[in-house]
Amino acid sequence: MTVDGFAGSDQPLDSAPGPGIAIRTLEVGKSYGRGETRIDALADVSVDFGKGRFTAIMGPSGSGKSTLLHCLAGLDRPTTGQVLLGDVDLTRLPEKALTHLRRDRVGFVFQAFNLVPTLTALENITLPLDLAGRKPDQAWLDTVIATIGLGDRLTHKPAELSGGQQQRVACARALVSRPDVAFADEPTGNLDSRSSADVLGFLHRSVRDFGQTVVMVTHDPTAASYADRVLFLADGRLRSELLDPTADSVLDAMKQLEVG
Amino acid sequence: MLKLGLRSVLAHRLRFVLCTVAVLLGVAFVAGAMIFTDTLSAALKKNFAGSTADITITPVTALDTTAGTTSAEPPTLSSGLADRIAAVQGVAGTDPQLLVGGIQILGSDGKHTATYGVPIFASAWPHDPRTAPFKLLDGNQPWGQKQLGLDQSTVEREGFQLGDQIKVITPTRAVTATLAAITTPMLSGSSAGAPLVTFDAATAQLFLLGHPGWTSIGVAVHPGQDPQAVSNAIAALAGPDVRVRTAAQVSEEGKSALSDTFGGYSAVLLLFAALALFVGAFLIVNTFAMLVAQRSRELAMLRAIGASRGQVTGTVLAEALVIGAIGSTLGLLLGAGVAAGLQFSYQHLDLAVPSSGLKISVATIIAAYVVGIGVTLAAAYPAARRAGKLPPVAAMRDDATIPERSLLVRVIIGGFMFLMTATLYLIAQKVRGLPAAILLSLGAAVALLAVVMTSPLISRYAVRGLMSPFGRQAPVTLGRRNAERNPRRTSATASALMISVALISGLVVIAASAKASVDRNIADAIGTSELVVSNDGGGAFAGQVGDRISAVPGVSAVHRVRQMPAKADTRMFDLRGVDDGSLEGPITTKVESGSLDALESGQAVIPRNVARTLDLTVGKSFQLTTGSGKHPVTVGAVIAPNRQLNGIVVSLARFTELGGAPTDTTLYVEVAQGTDLAPVRLAVLGQLHDYPTLLVRDQQAYAQGERRPINAALGVIGMLLALAVLIAVLGIVNTLALAVVERTREIGLLRAIGMDRPQLRRMLQVESIAISLLGALLGVVIGVLFGASIQAVMVDDGLSVLDVPVLQLLVTVVVAAAVGVLAAVWPSRRAARLDVLRAIATE
Repeated sequence: MTVDGFAGSDQPLDSAPGPGIAIRTLEVGKSYGRGETRIDALADVSVDFGKGRFTAIMGPSGSGKSTLLHCLAGLDRPTTGQVLLGDVDLTRLPEKALTHLRRDRVGFVFQAFNLVPTLTALENITLPLDLAGRKPDQAWLDTVIATIGLGDRLTHKPAELSGGQQQRVACARALVSRPDVAFADEPTGNLDSRSSADVLGFLHRSVRDFGQTVVMVTHDPTAASYADRVLFLADGRLRSELLDPTADSVLDAMKQLEVG
Repeated sequence: MLKLGLRSVLAHRLRFVLCTVAVLLGVAFVAGAMIFTDTLSAALKKNFAGSTADITITPVTALDTTAGTTSAEPPTLSSGLADRIAAVQGVAGTDPQLLVGGIQILGSDGKHTATYGVPIFASAWPHDPRTAPFKLLDGNQPWGQKQLGLDQSTVEREGFQLGDQIKVITPTRAVTATLAAITTPMLSGSSAGAPLVTFDAATAQLFLLGHPGWTSIGVAVHPGQDPQAVSNAIAALAGPDVRVRTAAQVSEEGKSALSDTFGGYSAVLLLFAALALFVGAFLIVNTFAMLVAQRSRELAMLRAIGASRGQVTGTVLAEALVIGAIGSTLGLLLGAGVAAGLQFSYQHLDLAVPSSGLKISVATIIAAYVVGIGVTLAAAYPAARRAGKLPPVAAMRDDATIPERSLLVRVIIGGFMFLMTATLYLIAQKVRGLPAAILLSLGAAVALLAVVMTSPLISRYAVRGLMSPFGRQAPVTLGRRNAERNPRRTSATASALMISVALISGLVVIAASAKASVDRNIADAIGTSELVVSNDGGGAFAGQVGDRISAVPGVSAVHRVRQMPAKADTRMFDLRGVDDGSLEGPITTKVESGSLDALESGQAVIPRNVARTLDLTVGKSFQLTTGSGKHPVTVGAVIAPNRQLNGIVVSLARFTELGGAPTDTTLYVEVAQGTDLAPVRLAVLGQLHDYPTLLVRDQQAYAQGERRPINAALGVIGMLLALAVLIAVLGIVNTLALAVVERTREIGLLRAIGMDRPQLRRMLQVESIAISLLGALLGVVIGVLFGASIQAVMVDDGLSVLDVPVLQLLVTVVVAAAVGVLAAVWPSRRAARLDVLRAIATE
């Protein structure tokens, strides 16, 4: 199903996203088990994510928000439907191509354990490029590094960095290959409010200053307020959306979601 | 706690399989050795029961030698003695016997039959079948010089039939006779199972001794008489020149002689058991260290809910106990298999080694469990102790780790061990010879342990250098860093391989040096216009061979060398008799002091190393014991160490005086100046067609033949060492598999951000190669140093030339790297199969 007022909801099913769309899902469903024990984690989700936009996905536990993010990022395969990144259907890609797509066209920030402990901060940032055997664009790398403000700690191993610093390094890594979309799964879930603000501010700036597309799952209304748009999920279905949110309007929308 | 341990083993089945395999292999060697020995001694007891004469009389010899294998004259008894013994009260009958070793039987293909080192005996047909060391199975007693008997095993193996013409070579001649009798192989004594040729009594004396005489007399005692009393009566009559033994005494001595022979095998097996267990222990130490690290939260939780330190240590040890018990049980079974295999292979060779059902004694079972469980517990103890030290609060923390002791202690102990190695080395330089080699082996063992102690430190710096040729791509860098992240683990895994590789490369250097030394010595001692005639397998041959060769056109001289064992100052030496002038040309020697002319006056010539061992110089006298008694001998000259003359050298005349027989062991045939060697060699061979076992070789072919035993020994030891390498490789597989489990989240992350499966595989391969290269290189360095220092102290004892076979050692290192690639196959397959999302979500 589609929700009224969603951008692109009136597009024909098998068409590639238009020029303003970075990634789109078409009737994506994900279910586990079969028969009586079948659980639908996602059901018929069709949604577009605009280029250069910062979208937050919210919903209660078990709403399917992380599953949606994983399907978008090519980390998980939907049971039904399509995920189109540009004109590539992620659901049809073989494992190896999907891996390379994650490496080259997608960035990802996890909630925790984002960095390889044996590599320095700088090596972690350039890891996707190194894996691809590509040289980093030095000017862009400098810009990204300058933005995360880690300066002299770049040669430190992750164990020598604070949680907030680690997440900022992870964000830099997610952006260094100029991906079509950067995904973040509860990036501030383990951080104190100050570090959270740093990380979110960084994501926000990357959208505003560099035109990066960011999709972030969160359960924190304050975090969601950094986004341009908030999608609400419940029971694996899209329920509503909010444009230009504030922490308060997000909170209200969530309350409504629980009632409705 | 045992219950918890058992649960844990079951929960992590896979991780324990490799540990169990390591214990299993070690225990299998221990159990195999013990079962084989027990089975053999049980069979011997059965075999010796009632197969010898009631009383046996043999000549007393100053030196016990196997008659016929050298030029030593077999000691004999006179015929008259038998008659006198027959008159003793209580004697029912006497049966003089003649039994001589060093016989060769020619197969239907004209080549001598393979007996895998078991000597072939020839015997006179006995008057009294009851006292004979064999039984007639088919045909009739051989009669005259044209008939002989053979044992059934040989007949069957060679496909002979009664009536066939059989060629046999005895110490005095080559014989062709009709097969008239088929007998059992030797039934009694220390040579039970050996092939046997039989002749009638007079023929046997002629063919085997060249003169009348007996090698023993068997006596049957009247029923009801005490054999010991009769034995004493005979001893009183016969005097001090003979030994009189009852059947019980003969059987006891025979048993100990045979168990000495086979005891060697069990000693080798036990040695490799120790090596296998030692290498396996590294695997166990590593596994437990990693398991405790991985489960530290769970173990801390146990502490938090009230388990004492001892109880936590106990759970870990309980796991070790379970593994040790399972490994020992399986090892015991495999050991029985090993023993059965050894027994089967002996029976398959058809040498009729006494057999009985596999004997698994209680002592074997206890030893298997004590060794298996003991080693496992000891190897798991350090990890178990550290587990007990976990603070309970670690259960609450995300980064629960056990603090590791600093490497300082290890470095201090390692440094001390290096000092010990250096000390041993310096002492060995003073001592030289075989005792020095033993000191050096000890030093090498200590040096290996020292490297084991300090290797975490070494690996910290070595891995980067070793892996630099592999480039700087992301998977390579990641793999290398993984190898560097836990130096203890990397080095412990590498150490197991290092030990095996050190032994192999040490051996390779020693063997190569031995071969090079043989080549150099033979080239130095034997000229290019010479032929060397010797028996394939080294036995003595009849004097007529030399006579015939002298008559061949183109042969200018034949120099005979005769050889027999002799004892000087409690050590056994080869005593050689040489022709006049043999040492001036045919066997090139370098005189260091004295003069070779001294040979003519009955004095001895000895090489420097023998002179040093016996503390002799020119002009000094010493006691030489041969089969015929003790003789005073004076040193006439000291020569440079010489492979052809390693022992004590006297003139042929003096050799005969000392009890040597007129049979030769080596002939040096000089070819006239300007004559081609090849046609002369063919002519010589033409004269020897009835001696097909004689080898006529030029310098090169002779050297090649002399190198062969070195290769054979190298092959056998290499195979056993390969097993140690196998265990070491299991250790690498184990470490990697556990590392994959430990780094599940990290692997998930790498996959998520775009590492594809080939890159993941490459990352693990690089880590594996880093470990195996580290082990192999350290091993090669220690092995080469060990081999070279052994060569240095054995310069005068057969290792005059140092040869470091660079190519072979390089191959070893390359193979080690390849092994690293192989070891990573299974762990990386598991890693590649990990589900990305689930991997990231793991705790």
